[in-house]
Amino acid sequence: MVSPVGPIAPVTGPVAAPSTAASSPSGGFQSVFERAIAGVENLQQTADQGIERFLAGEGEELHSVAMATQKAELAFELFLQVRNKVVSAYQEIMRMQI
Amino acid sequence: MLDPVARSLERYMDLLATRQKLVASNIANAETPGYRTVDIDFESEFRGLVAGGQLRAVEVSGLEVNHDGNNVNLDREARLLAENGLRFQVAEALLKGQVQAVREAISGGGSG
Amino acid sequence: MSLFSSLSVSASGMAAERSRAALLVENLANAETTRTPEGGPYRRKDAVFAAEPAASPFGSAFANAIGAEGTGVRVAEVIEDTSAPERRYLPGHPDAGPDGYVAFPHINPAEDMVDLMSASRNYEANVAAIAAVKDMISHSIDLLR
Repeated sequence: MVSPVGPIAPVTGPVAAPSTAASSPSGGFQSVFERAIAGVENLQQTADQGIERFLAGEGEELHSVAMATQKAELAFELFLQVRNKVVSAYQEIMRMQI
Repeated sequence: MLDPVARSLERYMDLLATRQKLVASNIANAETPGYRTVDIDFESEFRGLVAGGQLRAVEVSGLEVNHDGNNVNLDREARLLAENGLRFQVAEALLKGQVQAVREAISGGGSG
Repeated sequence: MSLFSSLSVSASGMAAERSRAALLVENLANAETTRTPEGGPYRRKDAVFAAEPAASPFGSAFANAIGAEGTGVRVAEVIEDTSAPERRYLPGHPDAGPDGYVAFPHINPAEDMVDLMSASRNYEANVAAIAAVKDMISHSIDLLR
């Protein structure tokens, strides 16, 4: 499965030092995003490993494989939808006249 | 683009198709004098433990030979017909899921 | 694709079993036939099967590898029973010899019935094999959808 594109790292530079307070909300959000991606990756790997074990006849049960695969797929779909909502919310905000 | 799992699934399906072909041969020769049941060593072939690029047919041991020299056991072949078919379906469904996931990533979930 | 050739392997199995069944039915119908155009009583017939590699463009170089397209079956020959006929003492019978004995076919109907059931069961097994292979091919097509 293709890894979804991660968020762009926040800009650091001369602005960085005095504005730790300003950057922590975006830092907090970014880490949430990264954890979500890691979670999806993790489920995907678990599912893949389960499949390999099943194919090699190593005692993995079919229903476990099926559930693990479904979980990974759902997590990925959910992630995509959340990301899309975030992006469109961002775009809406950017369109607002101040 | 697809995970290595997809390659394993494909190989699994390859082996199952070959195995089914051999089962069909065994069934067709259920009454041929001197004919011995053939199969592939599925696990070894799948794990790549068998040397050489070609799959190898092996004679199945442990089957009773009748007075004609034939050792085909229809019950065994019928069981394998069903088992191979089901395993093939499982692998196909999983492989389809892999392809589907990539498609979804490409389309970005539809509303992106 | 090799799966398609296994369809013809199963078809050869069906044809062979059908031929055998036809001979067995002929035996049963003629279990009491004392008179044939060739002279003498009816002689029991049976089919001898032989394994035959399914048609393949490859030569015997690949015969041992599973590049070969599976092993079908054919009726190699039809053999006639050459053993002495069964003789029964029926002096009034039109086919009786000067000693009053009539030569009857050497057929055990019970045996041929069992063989007929076996041929029928094997025929069904080949039909099941065709269905299973057809299924597999269908599922492969599914991947394209």
